[in-house]
Formats: sequence, C-alpha cells, structure tokens
Amino acid sequence: MTGELAMTEPDQGPANPARRRVLAGFLTAYTASLVPWALAQPVAAPEHGAFMALSALLAGRRSLDAGLAARLFDALSAMYPHFTADARALLAQINQQHIDPAQLQSTLDGAHSPLAPLPRRIMRAWCLGLVGEGEATKCVAYENALNAVIVADVLKPPTYAYGEYGSWAKPPLAEGVNAS
Amino acid sequence: MSAPTSAEVVVIGSGICGSLAAWKLATRGKQVLILEAGPRIDRGRIVAAFRNSPRKSDWMSPYPFSAWAPQPEYKPKSNGYLVQAGPYPYPAEYIRVVGGTTWHWSALAWRLVPNDVRIKSLYGVGVDWPVTYDELDPWYQEAEEQLGVAGLPDTGSPRKHPFPLPPVAEPWAMQRIRERLAPTYTVVGNTVARNSRSYGGRPACVGNNSCQPICPVNAQYLGINAVEAAKAAGVKVVPNAVVYRIEHDAKGRITAVDYYDPDKTSHRVSGKQFILAANGIESPKLLLLSSSSKYPNGLANSSGMVGRNLMDHPSNSLTFYADEEMWLGRGPQSPDSINTLRDGAFRSQHAAYRLDFTNISQVLGVTEALIEEGVYGPAFDQQLRWRAARQLSVKTLLEVLPNPDNRITLSSDKDAMGIPKPEAHYSIDAYTRRGAQAAREDFAKIAALLGGTGLRYTPKGEFSNNQHITGTLGMGDDPTRFVTDRFGRAHDHENLFCCGTGVMPTSATMNSTLTGVALALRTADHMAPLKAQAASTDTTREAVSS
Repeated sequence: MTGELAMTEPDQGPANPARRRVLAGFLTAYTASLVPWALAQPVAAPEHGAFMALSALLAGRRSLDAGLAARLFDALSAMYPHFTADARALLAQINQQHIDPAQLQSTLDGAHSPLAPLPRRIMRAWCLGLVGEGEATKCVAYENALNAVIVADVLKPPTYAYGEYGSWAKPPLAEGVNAS
Repeated sequence: MSAPTSAEVVVIGSGICGSLAAWKLATRGKQVLILEAGPRIDRGRIVAAFRNSPRKSDWMSPYPFSAWAPQPEYKPKSNGYLVQAGPYPYPAEYIRVVGGTTWHWSALAWRLVPNDVRIKSLYGVGVDWPVTYDELDPWYQEAEEQLGVAGLPDTGSPRKHPFPLPPVAEPWAMQRIRERLAPTYTVVGNTVARNSRSYGGRPACVGNNSCQPICPVNAQYLGINAVEAAKAAGVKVVPNAVVYRIEHDAKGRITAVDYYDPDKTSHRVSGKQFILAANGIESPKLLLLSSSSKYPNGLANSSGMVGRNLMDHPSNSLTFYADEEMWLGRGPQSPDSINTLRDGAFRSQHAAYRLDFTNISQVLGVTEALIEEGVYGPAFDQQLRWRAARQLSVKTLLEVLPNPDNRITLSSDKDAMGIPKPEAHYSIDAYTRRGAQAAREDFAKIAALLGGTGLRYTPKGEFSNNQHITGTLGMGDDPTRFVTDRFGRAHDHENLFCCGTGVMPTSATMNSTLTGVALALRTADHMAPLKAQAASTDTTREAVSS
C-alpha cells in the first residue's frame, strides 16, 4: 500500500467531540489483531459498529471514509431489513471461531450459512459502490469507491480525464511508485 | 412552433450517416428536414447517468429509454424489443435519440481494404460491390476530414491524401504490446475519429477512457456533431417523430412520410426526395411496414431482399495476465489492432478478421471477480492492483458473409405505439467459425509472446456482437438481387435513397461507420451534384480543416 492511498481523516472533528467513537471498542482481541491499523477508525454511531468492524476486516484498509461508511450503512440497512442484526451475528461468528478474512467466504459457503451473502454485499458496497441485486441495485459511490481509490495513483475512473493530451504514452509508474 | 409539413429532402433518422448526408445537401442549397424518432439528449446528463449507473459495463444504461421510440436493451433483463427468432442470438444494440448510436462508439474509423469489395471475384465467396475501393477514396477522404480522423500512414488501406490529423498518442500498454509481439505480429494504431489536436472546434483527447459509453469532452466525433453541423447549414430537425409509414404514388415515387409524436398524433410530411437513414434494422423495418396494394411485400422490395443478408462482426476473445505491468485504462479505449489478417488467399476458406486490443480499464471486471472469489482483507488490495495492472484482452472482429436467411422481419409482437417490432433471424456459418478457429491460434501465440498466464478463452462456438449492422439494404447493380443501386438509391423508387451501413453488401472486417458515412456522402453528391464534381472535395476539405 502506498502513502498516497492513505485516506483523509473522516469528518469527526472537534466540533462534535461527544460523537467520537473508535472501532477498537467493537472488536475482540482476535479481530483487533487482524486489523491493528484500524483500531482508531472512527465509528459514527453505535449501530454502525459491527458494520465498520466487518468493513475493516473485509477491505483490509488502513482507514475507511466515515462519511461514505455512513452512506453505505444507510443504503445497506434500507435494502436489507436484517442488515444490522446480520452484521452483528457475522462479527460474533468471526470472533468466536477466529475465522481468517481470507477464509471467510469459503467457510460461510461451505456451511451454507444464511450469512454467506453478507461479506459480498459489504464488499460490493465499498469496492463497487453498489448496494442491492438485479434491478434493485443502487449506485451509492463511484469515484470514491475503494476500487477507484486503490488504483488512484495510476488510473482515473472512466469519464474522468486522465491528463493532458498524450500523457498516457508515458510509463504508468514513472515516479517509481509501485505498490503491487 | 409547429413542425414543417414539407421539405425538399426528408431524412428519416438523425444518426451520423443521415445527418451528414443532410448537411451536405443543405450546403448544396437543398431545404432539408430530419425526422428523428427519439428525443434530444444532453452530454452532461449522460456522463452523470453513467457515473450513477449500477451497471457500468452496460453502455446502454446511461441512455434514456423512450416508450415511443424503443431501443433494444438486454440488461438487467431483455426488454424484448428486438425479437430473437434464432437460431443464434443477434442482440444488437442501438440508440434512438437525436444523434443516433454513435453517441457511444469506439470511434474506430477504418477504411476497408481494396479486396474487401471484390471477394466474389477474388475468393469465390460473398458478393462483389458495385463500386471499387478507388471510387470510394474521395468520399472516404471527405468523411475523414469531416469526422477528424487521426491515423498512421501505413494502415494497409491505401489513400491518396494524408489523414487530416496525426495519429493519437499510443498508450504505454499498447507500446509494450506492439514491442513484445514484433516481429511475429505487426501491431498498429487504429485510425480513429478522435482528436489528436484541436480540430473542428473540438478539443484534443484527455484520456477519459469512456469513449463508450460517452466521450465527456467532445474530443471524439459523434453523430450529434453531425446533427449540429447539419443544423448550422440550415437543416431542421424534429425529434420524437416516429415515422411509421412511407407513402408513394402510382408511379412508385415516394410522396410523403407519416410519423407519430409521443401522444400518437399522426403527422404527414411531403417531400421531393427522401433519405432512409434509420440504421440497418429500423430502416428495413420501415420499408416492410410501408407495404401497400402496389407493393404488398413492402417498399423497395421487388427483389425480396429488404432486411436480408443481415451481417455484423462476431467476436470472441482471450483474456489473460501479461508478465509485466501494462495498466490498461490510460488514454482512449481502443487504440491498437493487428490488421494484417484482414485479407489473404485464406478468404476462400475462412473468414478474415481484425484483432483488437482493448485499453478499457480492467478495474471494474477485476473487482467483480475478486468479490465473487471471496478475496478479502489485505489480499484484495494486492490482487486488485496485480490483476488490473496485468490483465489484457484481445478480440476478433470476424467477417460474416451475406446470407439471405439472416434477416430482419416484422414481428407479430408490437411496441407501445402499436408498431410491429423488428425480428432478427440469425446464424453464424461455418466460414465465420473457421475464421474464429484460426484466430484462436493467434490468441495462443499472442499470449505466449506476452508471457500470458490465466488464459480465459471465449467458449468455443460462442460469439459476442459488435453492433456493426450491415447488409439489410444491400447495394448492387442487379435490381433482382439488391435493394439499392450503386448510389444507395432504391431500385424500385427513383427518389428514395438509403444511407447507413445497411447498404454495405458485405461486412468485411472493419468497423463499418466510416464506410457508411463515405457512402452516405457519395449518395448526397449523387442527389445534388455539383457541376464540377472535382471541386467539391477540395471545397469541403478547406471548410472543415479550418
């Protein structure tokens, strides 16, 4: 991961200190060990806790945009009535069974868990900006979805100008920045 | 203000071909009216609609759907407008709006190669065109100058004058592909209607990598630019005018067209000359719809060939990971090709093809794949970058031979206005399939030369479509075999002309728009010739180069 990928501190400034909560309060020792970099991640509201913890585990990011998190949480909660409860249940299962995020989907799929769709729903929201399935799908984010952010040092999301005419003829990582 | 009820020339369809024919006729002093079934749209709103779309790989998704002027849509599910009679699907896409389908196109503005128009004589397949490549050269040149085509001098398609614009800067990924495949394959920059410098009042490309579905900055020539040129020359454009019938007199001359507005109020427009430019599906549909007691099989159809010989360019592809970072997605979407397989003695045995390298950002598809695979945690970040940097794709554009059984007919199913929907009858023959098999061997060589891993071929026998709708109004000298003559005039109606890719009697291997435009400009010249024809091309060149 490059320094350029580090995200800006979410909007939880001193004007609203009473609301400041951090992710560490929602994690156990096991899950905290998986995402030590995210312990200070702000959490906007208590009901967001499990969602934010799952988001940190699944996305594996140093920090997550709190404003986008709130929008995604609202969209997911509106789309899926049991979303908050399911998120709590999945986080509890990860804590209890010490499931590695890399094995999470196969574990849930193998067990035919009713929670199996949840990781993909959360990752689609963060990484594609999409919530919902089929005709009901809504776009909540695009240029700040994680799949754009992760490659932002090399690419612009389609429809955004890459740069001046011909700039694409140069090597993509001419400055020597190569995080892969 | 009420819409005009008469014009010297009535053009049905405001796509790039109809609008440029209208533009030329207006510059010759003709009073021209364009009737467009769909609405006006705004570029900025299309860009916003794309960014907000939940289906970013569906390039139709940002475009509005109009119940009175339906267009085929297939995602998230088919709207059933283009009825599929089989045996193979023909899921063509087009946009019924002012400006037409080139609102989204790759802007590949290739000429044919000279032998493309003589495949019957040379290879014993298909048909010969009624015009030679050399005869088309001046109109190709004019089309290129109007569109602002950028290209290399050595593309394999001869020319008498240089391209109006220097080639567009080649993306880094394409440079590496070109270098790695040499000398086994010669990779060349595509000729494109994309500005490599300011031209025609439009800016140079800034690499938005969204040529399809929409160029946000107007660096790529679109049908709407043709509409604007036509309007500036005095052409009137009526949107939301759904032509449903073409009228004729006792001698077979076309006298008027009838159209519905969105409230299904009928309007009539009379004229002296008529251009049908509604694309290779809607145009034959309209001719078939306009049957009468004198023409029970539809207008222009004494040959029985209206709607037949439907062709396109089926594609199959190979996607793989190169052994070095390429990072597709920087610059325009379709920069380079291998075009040396467009012609050769093999055409007597199998389809010719062009191999097209995409430069579309791979981030979307890679993200979807990773989520599907359940790749979570820090591995997601690493895998997204690794795959997005290395994933490449090459596809074929295969020639399809004219086959009368491949056709557009009228469905018994009707649209919201009560107009029969078009119905596609389509198959892909052994000639094209053998071409696909030959290309598969090229795919393997290309992947090997690029250190390819994770090779994913299109399953054998499966093809995707390229929306290069050709053949349904084919031109030829024999009125018993062809719909239109060498100038696009309907053999059966002296004042009805067809413009668009539908008049192409064979599909060849190159994106068909430039050839369609060149033929449309030639048709317009035939309809309203200058006294000294030689002067016309030079005059036009001066006008558009400024």
